[in-house]
Amino acid sequence: MRILLEKLIVNYPYFFAVILFVIGVLTVLTRSNLFKKLLGINIMESAVFILFIAAGNIRGGTDPILDTSKPEAVYINPLPSALMLTGIVVSVSVTAFALSLIIRLYREYGTADARQIAQMRNSALKAADQAGRDNYRHPDRSNGKRGDKNDRSNQI
Amino acid sequence: MGNGVTKMTEAIKFNLPVFVVIAPLFIAIVLPVFARRIRLAEGMVIFVGVLGLAGALFLAHIVLDRNSGTWIYQMGGWPAPWGIELTVGNLAASFLLVVMGVSLPVSLFAVGNLTHEVGGKQRTARFYTLFLLLVGALAGMALTNDIFNTYVLVEVATLSCCGLVSSRRHPRAAEAAFTYLMLATLGSALVLCGIGFIYTITGHLNMGFASQALNEIWQTKRHVVWMAMSLVFVGFAVKSALFPLHVWLPDAHSSAPSPASAILSGLAIKGYMICLLKFFYSVFGPGLIKEFAMDRLLVLAGMIAIIAGSVMAIPQDDLKRRLAFSTVGQAGYIFLGFGLMNKDGLAGALFYLASHAVIKSTLFLSAGAMISATKKRKISELAGVGRRMPVTMAAFTAASLGLIGIPLFSGFIGKWYLITGSIEAGSFLPTVVIIAGSVLCATYLFPVIRVAWFESAPKEPQKAAAQETGDAAVQRETAEVQEGPVQHGQLKDPGILQKLALVLLTVAIIVLGTVPGPLLELAKRAAAELLVLR
Repeated sequence: MRILLEKLIVNYPYFFAVILFVIGVLTVLTRSNLFKKLLGINIMESAVFILFIAAGNIRGGTDPILDTSKPEAVYINPLPSALMLTGIVVSVSVTAFALSLIIRLYREYGTADARQIAQMRNSALKAADQAGRDNYRHPDRSNGKRGDKNDRSNQI
Repeated sequence: MGNGVTKMTEAIKFNLPVFVVIAPLFIAIVLPVFARRIRLAEGMVIFVGVLGLAGALFLAHIVLDRNSGTWIYQMGGWPAPWGIELTVGNLAASFLLVVMGVSLPVSLFAVGNLTHEVGGKQRTARFYTLFLLLVGALAGMALTNDIFNTYVLVEVATLSCCGLVSSRRHPRAAEAAFTYLMLATLGSALVLCGIGFIYTITGHLNMGFASQALNEIWQTKRHVVWMAMSLVFVGFAVKSALFPLHVWLPDAHSSAPSPASAILSGLAIKGYMICLLKFFYSVFGPGLIKEFAMDRLLVLAGMIAIIAGSVMAIPQDDLKRRLAFSTVGQAGYIFLGFGLMNKDGLAGALFYLASHAVIKSTLFLSAGAMISATKKRKISELAGVGRRMPVTMAAFTAASLGLIGIPLFSGFIGKWYLITGSIEAGSFLPTVVIIAGSVLCATYLFPVIRVAWFESAPKEPQKAAAQETGDAAVQRETAEVQEGPVQHGQLKDPGILQKLALVLLTVAIIVLGTVPGPLLELAKRAAAELLVLR
């Protein structure tokens, strides 16, 4: 038990990365607000970045720039940081794309809540079933609540 | 002059593995420039498809010819621990052939047929950009031998998949794309964590070196290896829709435009499966899979997926949704084969992967043709379509027979090898499940065939329905349908290119089922290669 605790204290960045990761996953899976889901994704990915960068760090190491005056210097491993640059780029593009989808959904439904959107869609599907067809645009668009904005949805 | 040409062909031949990946990606980036000249853009897409298929055939020929050993291509000439390697082995060549062989007919089908589903020339050009990005990423997944490179290609594929889903002008599509994006990003974060653990304990990103190091040190780092394996497994299982993690798939695949559904169901999830296979067999190795009981987990998950996916497909009345649930079930066969850990099972899984890619794209494309002609998505409303659209429905029927596993169609050979593999593994439950899956598959596909061929078409059902309900929205919708270009009375097969695409895919199903020769040979050799204990 003591050894385990010692290991945990020595490797504290990994511990925090795991906690952050779990927070992120829980946010994505349990929150119905689309923005919160997106924040969860970002927290989760940051956790993975921390994990990688902590793995590349060496205590007492210096920047990985060759210094001939100090031959005994220990350099940190730059590769994980370089990899995480790629990871950050991916994360940014995911965020941008998700935001554009949220805008489109908000213009269409007038809300950014996954549960409400699902409700509206289901009631629309029911109405469609009664009419004998379901391949059609959402009836919420004609109920006037956000009708002025909804008509622009085709141009997104 | 002649000397120069030979030098050039030599250079192209030498760099072919890179060209196969780079060409679609490059054209994808150039394509938006030609958005206003959509015919030119479409021509370029098909040109790249033909080039890619030629390249894949050539690489497969080289691999088959070489008999043993893989062609390792070093990016930029850097040797292995520093540079990124592409390997052209049996596995890569067979999957590359599947990717190129399916994406060409799909792009042929998309040409000229897409504008009404996507809306506008600009959006059509963007669709092709995403399509080519996906094809390039899948080709890269087949070839790469570097685990971080795999992650990057997986992300490229994920983003373009989500883009393809959301390219349809329908709120449903945006919603499905958002769910897909969230879960797929969750999956890739898990995979990235797994990669991080592998790199932390081995210090290598190259699959060969990482595998060597893992097999030397795994006893001392047992928990880390176990953790990395589980993370990679769950991550790729989310992305390739293994049963309990499939929740995003039915919405995403059924609300995408039809060519996109075809390539998403046919190829995209297969790409992630190939990545999982590479991680499990080329990085961890068969010894570690057995040690951590991952083989039994794969077989169990596969069996559950076959039954659950097929059962869920039966009550669906929406044609594309039924096909999407069927994909969940069929993915189970491939996972089951991955877990059997013997030559026949693995070869069967690889062949089944190829056969399902061809069959499911045919099904989605013919379903798309029917839906865009009739403007109806429900199976019960497709009565009498078969007689009006014989080519489309014939392709659908052939593909259904292939999916069920009737002899002479490609699904049969894959299932045959899976069954012999599971008997060899000594467990009879998978055999029973494979056969039960075929029966369930017939249960959900034969009604479509029966309704479309043997029931007579109803007479003007929509007008009456709209008049009964006073709902304004519905009336407007019905009006839109009646204004549409195709009336029910003028139902006919789609254009010549679409017919060509369907015929090509149907021929591929029958050819794979009667003379599986080269592809099966590649799959068998790949299986033997992957199972070598290190």
